[in-house]
Amino acid sequence: MAKPRIEILEEGSGQIFSTITPNEFREHMREKVRNAWQDKRMDIKTAIEQFVHDGDYLTMGGVSFVRLSMAAVHEIIRQKKRNLNLAAGTRTYDFNLLLDAGCVKNIDCGYITGMEVFGIPYVTRKRAEMMITSGEMGISEYDNASMAWRHKAAAMGIPFLPIRNMMGADAFKHSAAKKIRCPFTGEVLVLVPAIYADVCIIHVHRCDIYGNSQIEGALNEDLGKSKSAKKLIITTEKIIDTEEIRLSPDRTLIPCFYVDAVVEIPYGAHPNNMPGMYYVDIDHMNEYMKASRDPSGKAFEQYYEKYIFGVDNFDEYLETIGGKKRIEYLEDLEHLRVRE
Amino acid sequence: MEKKNYNIFELMAVVAAREIEDGAFIYIGTGIPMLATSLAQNMHAPNIVPVFEAGGIAPQMPTLPLSVGCSRTTHRTIRTCDMPEIFEMAQLGVAHYAFLGGAQIDKYGNLNATVKGKYNAPEVRWPGSGGANAFGSLCWRTMIIMNHEKRRFVEKVDFITTPGYIDGPGARERAGLPPGTGPYRVFTDKALLDFEEKTKRIRLIGLLPGVSIDNVVESTGFELLIKDGLINVPPPTEEELRILREKVDPYRIVLGRGDQ
Repeated sequence: MAKPRIEILEEGSGQIFSTITPNEFREHMREKVRNAWQDKRMDIKTAIEQFVHDGDYLTMGGVSFVRLSMAAVHEIIRQKKRNLNLAAGTRTYDFNLLLDAGCVKNIDCGYITGMEVFGIPYVTRKRAEMMITSGEMGISEYDNASMAWRHKAAAMGIPFLPIRNMMGADAFKHSAAKKIRCPFTGEVLVLVPAIYADVCIIHVHRCDIYGNSQIEGALNEDLGKSKSAKKLIITTEKIIDTEEIRLSPDRTLIPCFYVDAVVEIPYGAHPNNMPGMYYVDIDHMNEYMKASRDPSGKAFEQYYEKYIFGVDNFDEYLETIGGKKRIEYLEDLEHLRVRE
Repeated sequence: MEKKNYNIFELMAVVAAREIEDGAFIYIGTGIPMLATSLAQNMHAPNIVPVFEAGGIAPQMPTLPLSVGCSRTTHRTIRTCDMPEIFEMAQLGVAHYAFLGGAQIDKYGNLNATVKGKYNAPEVRWPGSGGANAFGSLCWRTMIIMNHEKRRFVEKVDFITTPGYIDGPGARERAGLPPGTGPYRVFTDKALLDFEEKTKRIRLIGLLPGVSIDNVVESTGFELLIKDGLINVPPPTEEELRILREKVDPYRIVLGRGDQ
């Protein structure tokens, strides 16, 4: 039998939106890591001004309605960042707000616009369809697994990973993946390109002033994402002493040398769920969905005006959603002290 | 017709639950799959391993979750991991079943959750794969849950988000997917369907209570194979309904949506 060789069997026609190479990233990290033990505390305004730029490749932590860094999303929208390239595996509310606000240029798609059990916001879906048809927004098609592995590949310091899905699917044709024959087994594999991002934002339960970060609940793709972005902004429910980190180091997902900014924002994931702290604000999600059904877009504009443009910061936002009383209710919901 | 003492979600959950065998490793999504899995676990299948996409392995859910990552899915797990690990377990061959939905399905069980109409000029753009493509590609058996409507059961899907048997026997293997995988059952609000062994085409194997063959054929947009010895699926038992209502979803978070 002839010895199997690597041969490219088929290639997708999708674009690669992040152009950072593994070697470029290595050079970047070599210097960045020296700042490991700097006090990185700052406010969200400064963090977004300093680390998120028009045209950046942005990836965000959390998944679905869980642990999304909403204070950062609001600030990106208020600062009118434009032409962002977005990793869009498992995105919901955070992605939708950025799309509606005109911040998005290109996406690597795993799951967009959907709000799971709440449905698909009409106005956002229409906007996405229009932007695809006009070519205003570029899309490469993946799925949640290949997107997670693309981030993982980057975190491994390599340019791609071989995987065993995507074949036989039309997404492959619209991705930048390549199909090869495995040089060891002769089987067909798909290679997906690594995503090295310009900037990553992750909301965590607690971290110290250096950014050593601990997370409760589902970890999603956050391990890979946190390691493979040039700049990493951590928003946190609480800043704790490094001594506390050292007492439970096995809970630490992100060590400080990957981190560039630490921003303390209590309840910073609202209206999403923060596992162990507060539950999804179902009424708020319903309000958002209701606003999205007005085809004129007016109700949606009012929603954005009320909750994002009409406030200066996340504390003010929390007042608009009902303040301490509302938050306490969501804490009770999370801990099953009251019924949904 | 006799008045039913259950709604369509309760019925679909019961029908799906009966197909889950003890000891199975199952990826579950929100909605009916969660009801079905939890019901099976409380009835005949106490030793299954339910797993959620965002990282929750074998949780003891206190109440039904709203999403595949919310804190209910990581409540009292045996391990909470990350998404690469979740999908790697499927790639490793650990996962027997995945429950998937879709906006369109065709006669080979290919699922579309991406786009209606042309890809570059969509009539409707849906969210896309989510975890579906990987689960449907890598799990041993895929269970599909959908509403049975002509516009959803189409001759050929507009876009293959998750491959079924693609265009016939052997096509999955030729495309390079792991051998021995593929869609296994389709649960709808009208019928129970499987995939005929020789042709890999969708086949009607059971009718839900009160549904006729004609009802199903009229709601299907392709030529439907029909199994000899078609069964009438028995309605939910008192015991199944009791467990669903008292233990699985006492607040009717999901069940309530079947009342409409």
